[in-house]
Amino acid sequence: MDMSENWKEDVAESEEFDFPPDPADDFEWVPATKEVAGNMPDLPLETWQSPSTSRREFLRGVVCSGVAVSAASYLWAGNSSEARAAVRGVERLVTLNINGKNRRVDVAPNETLAHTLRYKLGLTGTKIGCNRAECGACTVLADNTTIYSCSTLTHQSRGKKITSVEGVAAPDGTLHPIQQAFIDELGPQCGFCTPGQVVAAVGLLKKNPKPTEDEARRALSGNLCRCGAYDHYLKGVMRASGRA
Amino acid sequence: MTDVMHSFDLFAPASIEEAAKLLDKHGKEAWIVAGGKDSFDWFKDRVKRPSAVIDITGLKQLHGVSDKGNYISIGALSTLSEIEDSSLLKKNFPLLVEAAGRVASPQIRNSGTLGGNVAQDTRCSYYRDGFPCYRAGGNTCYANTPTAMNREHALFEASRCVAVTPSDTGPALVALEADMVIARDGKTRTVSAEKFFIGPATDITRMTVLEKGDILTEVRVPKKWAGAKQYFEKVADRETWDFALVNVAMVAKVSGGKVSDVRMACGGVQCTPRRLSNVESLMKGEKVGAEMETLAKRVAARGAKALNYNHFKIPLMGNLAARAVRSLA
Amino acid sequence: MDFKLVGKNFTPPDIHAKVTGKAKYAEDFRADGMVFIKTYPSPMPHAEVKSIDVSKAKKMPGVVGVLLPSEVKQPKDAGHAILTSYPVFVGQPILAIAAMTEQQAEDAIEAVKVDLKPLPFCIDPLDSLKPGGPNANKGGNVANRRKIKLQEIKWSGKDFALAGNDQMPMGKEAFGWSFGDIDAGFKNAKVVVEKSFVSAANAHHALEPRSAAAYWSNGKCTVWGSTQSSSFAVPSLAKYIGISPAKLNFVSEYCGGGFGGKAYSYPLMALPALMSKKLNGRPVMMRVSRADEFFNGSARAGFQGWVKMGFDAKGRVLALDSYVVQDNGSTTGFWDFQNFGMASSVILQPKAMRFRGVPVLTNTPPKGAQRGPGENQTANILEPLLDDAARQLKMDRLALRLVNTPGGGQGGKIGPKQAPLTSAYLKEGLEQAAEKFGYADRVKKTGKQANGKIRSIGIGQAYHAAGYNGWDGMVRITPDGKLHVHTGVGNLGTYSYASTSRVAAEVLGYDWNNVIIERGGTLKAMPFNIGQFGSNTSFTMTRTNYAAGMAAKQKLLEIGANMMGGKADDYKLDNEKVIAKKGGKSITFAQAAKKAIELGGKYDGHELDKDLKGLTKLAAKQIVGTGLIAAAKDKIPKKGVVPALAAAFIEIELDPETGKVEVLDYMGIADVGQVLHPQGLDAQIRGAAVMGFGLAATERYVYDPAYGKPNNKSLYQSKPPTYLDVPAKLGSLAVTGATDPQNPVGAKGVGEPIQGAASSAYLSAVSDALGGHLFNRVPVVADMIVNAMSKQPQSHKPLQTNCQ
Repeated sequence: MDMSENWKEDVAESEEFDFPPDPADDFEWVPATKEVAGNMPDLPLETWQSPSTSRREFLRGVVCSGVAVSAASYLWAGNSSEARAAVRGVERLVTLNINGKNRRVDVAPNETLAHTLRYKLGLTGTKIGCNRAECGACTVLADNTTIYSCSTLTHQSRGKKITSVEGVAAPDGTLHPIQQAFIDELGPQCGFCTPGQVVAAVGLLKKNPKPTEDEARRALSGNLCRCGAYDHYLKGVMRASGRA
Repeated sequence: MTDVMHSFDLFAPASIEEAAKLLDKHGKEAWIVAGGKDSFDWFKDRVKRPSAVIDITGLKQLHGVSDKGNYISIGALSTLSEIEDSSLLKKNFPLLVEAAGRVASPQIRNSGTLGGNVAQDTRCSYYRDGFPCYRAGGNTCYANTPTAMNREHALFEASRCVAVTPSDTGPALVALEADMVIARDGKTRTVSAEKFFIGPATDITRMTVLEKGDILTEVRVPKKWAGAKQYFEKVADRETWDFALVNVAMVAKVSGGKVSDVRMACGGVQCTPRRLSNVESLMKGEKVGAEMETLAKRVAARGAKALNYNHFKIPLMGNLAARAVRSLA
Repeated sequence: MDFKLVGKNFTPPDIHAKVTGKAKYAEDFRADGMVFIKTYPSPMPHAEVKSIDVSKAKKMPGVVGVLLPSEVKQPKDAGHAILTSYPVFVGQPILAIAAMTEQQAEDAIEAVKVDLKPLPFCIDPLDSLKPGGPNANKGGNVANRRKIKLQEIKWSGKDFALAGNDQMPMGKEAFGWSFGDIDAGFKNAKVVVEKSFVSAANAHHALEPRSAAAYWSNGKCTVWGSTQSSSFAVPSLAKYIGISPAKLNFVSEYCGGGFGGKAYSYPLMALPALMSKKLNGRPVMMRVSRADEFFNGSARAGFQGWVKMGFDAKGRVLALDSYVVQDNGSTTGFWDFQNFGMASSVILQPKAMRFRGVPVLTNTPPKGAQRGPGENQTANILEPLLDDAARQLKMDRLALRLVNTPGGGQGGKIGPKQAPLTSAYLKEGLEQAAEKFGYADRVKKTGKQANGKIRSIGIGQAYHAAGYNGWDGMVRITPDGKLHVHTGVGNLGTYSYASTSRVAAEVLGYDWNNVIIERGGTLKAMPFNIGQFGSNTSFTMTRTNYAAGMAAKQKLLEIGANMMGGKADDYKLDNEKVIAKKGGKSITFAQAAKKAIELGGKYDGHELDKDLKGLTKLAAKQIVGTGLIAAAKDKIPKKGVVPALAAAFIEIELDPETGKVEVLDYMGIADVGQVLHPQGLDAQIRGAAVMGFGLAATERYVYDPAYGKPNNKSLYQSKPPTYLDVPAKLGSLAVTGATDPQNPVGAKGVGEPIQGAASSAYLSAVSDALGGHLFNRVPVVADMIVNAMSKQPQSHKPLQTNCQ
């Protein structure tokens, strides 16, 4: 690949011009002292993946390897009474109600709900923006109340109905009025906070179907948007609530 | 930097007795969580790493707001949202409702509890980042060096440590003369809110009287101040998800234009909610008005010892005290 | 101009996935057997690694690999190292460990022992310039990516003494220029304003941390990364990984915010690929924590500076002199300081001017471009000073700006050579926004209100260069008749990848429903486009897509002639058909596409223009023979600098007792020439205003100077604005009657100055509320206002930086 093409010449008609950085020669290099990873020969054709590794085995591998050493004795235990949890620690295998479906999942004691959703159930619509209960990208509903799933232990969600962004639209794919209104009002910019904004807005309308603009901005105030699209999201909420 | 919690055993006791047994069994390794909003950050930072985490959110008897005649009982596990929405509290103690409503963000208030809000640890960034300071068992305060960044730190009662209480409900409960009910080994004891919070001179490693093995079960707010004039204000850099630079809580009884009784407390200025005794005493028996405002402003922060970056809190305290007085007009 | 698509609203094709959670960002991809990496961050701001002991970590459960700095070919720029044995800021990754789970990787990192030798470090650039002051890098203390090699510059004790107490010292500069006679300008001035100032650094904190994942297969490396710029990131990422761009399969469908901090590739993005290579190709995921995003996620450069402006009796700027010391961070950084000169020369059009500056390395995270890098700091400093001059001249504040700001289309100038601006309508923007905002009436209602608060009005203006030329476009018409617009520009969230692609459809007369945008990764055959940064996309990419559209048009006409006889000129395009101008014989675009494949050669991508960029040719090869392919270089003439310009009016209420500022109303206006996407422009202007309020009021770096410790890594400490910190509704306008003659549809970009206009308007209003009090410092935080109102000194020293 010829990377030496000098496109800078094309735009250099004036010294006042801000040259865009050249991505190819933006830095000088020093060689690695040992084997240089960047200069390694091409990989052999046989890679780490043995042909027999199936997706199912992979998933089980991850679930099992998630066992924390100190909690190993609770793995796959059969008895799930609360009394047992009190004395011997929580069961790892739990049933979670996610988007209206019961899902059996092996959950480590220190596992957050966001992690379970994203890495065990494949529900990657719930985003981890800060993992510190500060940004709201991980917002889900627990019994119709908004929570930060990044800072909730999955075990604390047992017995609660959890709704993530994937569970907001109708089963046939028809968008929730909030989702449609966010499209109509061009709510999302980069889109990373959007699932959290959607869930927070859906949670608001469940409790307060006709919010005032001020009620709406308070309800959504736990959801940061670095693109600053608050105005557009709020218009979306008001439109969806029929007050546009 | 890490944001993945260390391994721990998680216990979910169904009764206070079971919780007590667990606390006894695990001793110093035990750590109680409810909403967990403070705890999980410590765990993710791996600065605190207890091996036995006891989730008490299953203790149903610690939830809910109820009228007990002489006082209103608030279960320590009541969420801040439940407090915000409680018609009983709205009617009797709007001060507490407002304070709870200014905590962090809706999601945090939905799972964060009143108990957690009063028992939370300080936000000193040196301490939080794992610096081996006095509070962490070391022998230095990194926030009080000649060049330390200490805008959020203490004006009063610094004793080696200059950290402040981050709580919004704390000053409200101190103003309201609330009592905190603490269970231990099957027995309970009651401590006034004012004594519940402790400073570094008493014990530099704790913010409250709670010790390992204690469970805060209930907050009792006496009816004494029900219906009285109440005022809460929080000044923070952001209107959501921020800790108070200074907050103020006041309850006052006014008759015939004169203040018959008053309590006022500020958060964010020392390790505990600070009673503004100077202001209270100048108000009692006096006529509400411009002079009272001026005097409140003058004496509110008397005795303050500013650090490198926090002397703005001195006029800010004065202004907030004056605004509380103004609200009585 | 009369357009069918340009200037009309549309539903961007990727927005559905955003509201349903189906949009896949880098950390959303999974692969069989994926392992997870964590890095060991330097606990020290400047140190040398003496030894690394990973023996215990290697034995930890689940650990599958360790990658040390000695195993990785590194960029020479210490701060840009992928893994470093010479950390130059707290949090810089030293080594990486891969394990079966994130927690296992983290547990193993805790078991690593790194012996570090601390070195003297620098947090405040002025400290480094002092005689004997610390250097943030072994090789020197001054460097910049643009025009300045790593070197040592120290000022003399006399330089510092000459400045006087708390005034900006100005020793030897590393860069400077001037034009005109500034001495004469100051001599003839009626009013001279002269101030030292500080502008704080602040973290980008895009909501999506720069997570990445990678695996290798058959010698090719696949990387899922988060970047603003899809194709522009490819060559540099390939270089970090050590392969040819042809061997890199790069996926970047979505980017969860960049703001300049993810302009293209960056060192950390290569780490999963390098670890994966060591693990024989096994998929590796690196989820970046919020703290690591703070450390590695770039930040706006801080300024310590001085400016002097001379105004004549009518408010015209006769002379401007300036000096900026830039907090460059720990790498070669970005050229914010140089943009102080450019931006002030554009906004004020001074008769004479001098700019000098020196970029100083500090042991803080690498600084990069952040929305209006340099230009927006400039706006924040200058606008309150313009108010000051207006007060001294007893002029209306708007009137003074109208005297200086460029307008009327052509005639505006920029920089030392006073090169022409392609178009400028900022004067008209101020006038139109003032009218809509009701400026004249509102200024009458300012001052102390019944609620005890002080109401005031602020005005802001800002500039950024906004367009390049000479890049490639590529379109394809497939045998089903669909138009595929291939674009490598990236998906930052402005939807400009789509609004600029619509120009190709416009040229060919396509129904938008029959257009598919191919984007988001090398498998989509992306032409080599400049990245989505520098407010350039609207101008640059309309040109490339116009060029590709026109090339496709020519090919269609030729195929029409080939199939129906005669010459290309005998045909026209209409309704997705090639139609004979006489007689009305026609073929559909679908038929033409089939014919293109049959003809081969230049019609289906087998023969390409020689002047295309290498990566464009590579992309064309991926789709060769699949339809009518038109790849073309933008050779449309262009002379001068394209300016993105914005202005803003703001009304605030300042609470003198708490220092709190409430924005009551806001009106931003942008000179974008022809608007491409009205709703998208509104979203940009309003969103930029929110970010601007954060820049003006709350966001800043805080470093403990004794320990080099960052005190505000997290979001709640960094304080980006929330819903409740801004008004529910914000006003936005585009200058009417504006067009850029050097763009085929009259468009130019605007992403950056709309933030600077908002932040500077906010600061102008705060100063006005305080009766013209000048902080000469950004941000103006509540405590500064409380101190000012209480007539007590500020806590910080006047030129102190990275402090509270």
